[in-house]
Amino acid sequence: MQGISLPSRSSDETLILLKAGNLVNLPENYLMKFWMYHIMTWPQLSFVAENDKGHIVGYVLAKMYDEEESEEKGGDIHGHVNSISVLRSYRRLGLAKRLMMLSQDAMYSVYKAKYVSLHVRKSNLAAIGLYRDTLGFEVAEVEKKYYGDGEDAYVMKLVLKNQS
Amino acid sequence: MSKRGGTTPNRFLPPKESSLFKELLSLYETKQLKKGLKTADQILKKYPEHGETLCMKGLVLVHMGRREEGIELVRKGIRMDLASHIVWHVFGLIQKGEKKYEEALKSYTQALRFDKENMNLLRDVAQLQTQLRLYDGLVETRYMLLRLRPTARQNWIALAVAYHLSGNLAEAKKVLVEYEKTLKNVPHYDVEHSEMLLYHVRVLEELEQHSEALALLDVSAKDRAIVDKTAIMEVRARLLSKLESDEAEHAWKVLIEHNPECYDYYKGYLSNQGLNIDENPAEALAILREFSTQFPKANVPRRLSLSLASGEEFQALAEPYVLSALKKGIPSLFVDVKSLYTDPAKLKSFEDIAESIHKDTSPDTSVASSSVSTEPTTYLWSLYFLAQHYSYLSQYAKALELLDLALAHTPTLPELYTCRARTLKRAGDFHGASRAMEDARLLDGQDRFLNTKSAKYRMRAGLIDEASALLGLFTKKDAPSPGADLEEMQSLFYLLEEGDAHRRAGRLNLALKKYAAVQRVFDDYEDDQYDFHGYSLRKFTVNIYLNVLDWEDHLRSHPSYIKAALAASRIYVDIFDDPKLASGHVDGDATDAEKKAKKKAKKAQKEKEDAAKKAAAPATSTNEDKGLDVPYKDDDPDGMKLLSAPEPLELAWKLLQPLTTLAQDNIEVLIAIYDVAIRRRKYLQAARALARARALDSEYPDLHVRIVHARHFVSVLPEPMPPPVGPIFIETLGKILSEDVSLETYNSQFLQNHSTSAQAIFAAAQTSRVLGAPLQEVEDLIFTTLRDEVRLDVKTALEISSFLKKIKSPRVNELHQALDAKFTLSTAFKTPDELAKLREWVLTTSSNSSSERTGNGAAPMENEAELGKETGESV
Repeated sequence: MQGISLPSRSSDETLILLKAGNLVNLPENYLMKFWMYHIMTWPQLSFVAENDKGHIVGYVLAKMYDEEESEEKGGDIHGHVNSISVLRSYRRLGLAKRLMMLSQDAMYSVYKAKYVSLHVRKSNLAAIGLYRDTLGFEVAEVEKKYYGDGEDAYVMKLVLKNQS
Repeated sequence: MSKRGGTTPNRFLPPKESSLFKELLSLYETKQLKKGLKTADQILKKYPEHGETLCMKGLVLVHMGRREEGIELVRKGIRMDLASHIVWHVFGLIQKGEKKYEEALKSYTQALRFDKENMNLLRDVAQLQTQLRLYDGLVETRYMLLRLRPTARQNWIALAVAYHLSGNLAEAKKVLVEYEKTLKNVPHYDVEHSEMLLYHVRVLEELEQHSEALALLDVSAKDRAIVDKTAIMEVRARLLSKLESDEAEHAWKVLIEHNPECYDYYKGYLSNQGLNIDENPAEALAILREFSTQFPKANVPRRLSLSLASGEEFQALAEPYVLSALKKGIPSLFVDVKSLYTDPAKLKSFEDIAESIHKDTSPDTSVASSSVSTEPTTYLWSLYFLAQHYSYLSQYAKALELLDLALAHTPTLPELYTCRARTLKRAGDFHGASRAMEDARLLDGQDRFLNTKSAKYRMRAGLIDEASALLGLFTKKDAPSPGADLEEMQSLFYLLEEGDAHRRAGRLNLALKKYAAVQRVFDDYEDDQYDFHGYSLRKFTVNIYLNVLDWEDHLRSHPSYIKAALAASRIYVDIFDDPKLASGHVDGDATDAEKKAKKKAKKAQKEKEDAAKKAAAPATSTNEDKGLDVPYKDDDPDGMKLLSAPEPLELAWKLLQPLTTLAQDNIEVLIAIYDVAIRRRKYLQAARALARARALDSEYPDLHVRIVHARHFVSVLPEPMPPPVGPIFIETLGKILSEDVSLETYNSQFLQNHSTSAQAIFAAAQTSRVLGAPLQEVEDLIFTTLRDEVRLDVKTALEISSFLKKIKSPRVNELHQALDAKFTLSTAFKTPDELAKLREWVLTTSSNSSSERTGNGAAPMENEAELGKETGESV
């Protein structure tokens, strides 16, 4: 009866995340094992939004790169958002922003991440707007032909500091 | 496996070969397959019967993709040296790759007999025991591993987890305490250590040692040993509540501040204040009002208030709620409040509020109301809300009228078309619905949600190939077909929709094929956990790991699995009852499409085989590791093997069996279990299913048919059922329906009690059929569902129509004509000619169209490889 909400971590939120593997509007499909790998490696970083039937209407799936892995990128430990999505029919509620903030907060407080990065299609103006204008990301570089269909990706970054 | 065991004569190798063998082992571990193969051959040249070398060569060959040849060598190797741990280890690895976990465990146990303290063996055994849920054995294995290497931190955690899984929390706690004593100088901000401590707190909480749990949590948080801030806050609030501490209220408030959109936190806060949402709505409302003031942007407290309030108070809360959402143009407003519609007063309130906003904002209103904004978008969104509202209430014409107004106002909002599509679908106009959804998609070709919806609606209209063409805009370009890619990506939605579409068209073989693919996805989900039995313990992410194990144990309660299992088992039951169905000859309407599908499937299979041949050919010259897992091979591309399987009931039972424990409260599942069990002569199972279904809903129409079926079944048996089963079966039935009541009387009573329900009339007709009533009588009864006073919907009408076809009634066309006249909007009962025209019409594009998106393709998935790397087998 409660409407749309972002469930608590200690409930079975991360398991609900596994259900999200079959959201119909994912920009990309991922195999279940991919989801399992992420939530069992960085259980603190991924979040979902659900409706009153317990169906997932949005999620953020994220990971960390430690100093070693990010050596060529400057050596700072940082978070990376693999995928974020909100069902079309649940947009304009600010869910994407809240999901991003929860994940960023965890990257900073649990892993001491210096910054968070993500890839976005050059043509996805709505998403770029959210990252840049609402969340404060900046374009760090362009990765040519990052996507399977040949489209370029912007690598966007946000320096993390204590948010709360 | 690096350690050599005893020295039986046939295992002896002279120094040169012995060192070659050691080299072979290390080449295998680093997966230098080509060199490994050469080395093995060097040894075998002089010692062709050396068992361990034969096995290692076989193992290398399997990795290179030469599976059959490899396995043959492994078997030969075992025979040559039965007392070697290496040969059994190799065999175990192969069996594990075939997902034969029980057999693999047997081989490993054999291997351990000859090398009791082999760490690699023990670790694999522990993973197998976890996969098989053999927790007592797991404790022993983990204990052994810890004893052998107490300096490895993960061995301690692994033993605690094993105790935990076996139900011995007290021992789990002891192990953790002992482990913590061994630690020196744990650095701050060590995430692994933090996860371990959180696990320790969980164990204490599950032991109900709440103050100890809280003490550990607080001291670890203060020392910054636990770094997961959110977890600290959540566990703390929960523990304080359980301890009835004064600090609890504050702890919940802190959480709400942290995330004011979390329903659980408000629930926690309220229940900590001793408030039950159902019992103390007034007090709960007062608290929620405060939170709404404190967090004006948060939706959850405002929405939760709508659930609790009633009467005038509800009206006062609902008005601003609706208005602000319509002003902001929030598309989810209707789905957000829909669950409140169970209360008719609230339903009416929403209708009134939206109607009044609509009126006030309408461009026709000459004098704008002062209280309401006259933004044109508010007007638009109020139309959208009302259309959804009336569509939900089955007032389709009214909904469509409102949508026409909205579309005249703003023709570019995809939501208006999706709503139109849903409304037409509900009204039974599957073709108009598909066209409307395609209109929506054309407005935003980059949106995969709309793409998927349009494909789904095409499948509902029977346009499977055309649906596939749409899906292909977002699937991998190099996949054999869009469907193949979606299947590989475990898209349950796609498999179910296409399976259903084939089923509706009578192509049972292809339907079964898709349902079997759903089943396989769930098998894969189950296999997926295997690697994590080792990985999660190395990463110390124990809490989430335990949750995942529990999730895996309930995997098949997933709605998609249940849907596929039910649909497939119904087909198998039909085939059992009428084996002619399995001949592949399907009734009339779509033979062309079937031929096409068959041809396509054949072609795809041939392409696959060619590709496989190509891949297999240069196997000897490549170092590529194909792993040990058996690749999936489709030897039944058109599903004909499934359709003509000799024992359809056994296949049905295999699907339903997991549901006997996982979906006990699903009446449809229980009915399917009855249908299969009674035919398999598992009478007790059948009786249990009936009794349980009756406890859930004694008047359920489909259950009524089965109750009579069961009684009738017993009465026509040539010989009575033998004891002990027979008497128990009859006794159980007697409790459900007294033996004194004649079945005909029972059926007519049921009919009388539910005379305005089409489903009940349909059930009574099916029941008459079971009791051997003449066809005409059954038909007459069926046709009474057309009466004005009977509530009949398109879905039930479609079921009734397929039943008439099934019993070979000559009145199917007559029924269709009547239904077509009754459901004026629906296209479900058109003639084949009309349908053919409709299908063409669906594909003609409407006036609006915009740029078509062409393809996307999946993003790189580098992380998969990472997992593989860390969990790769080593010998």
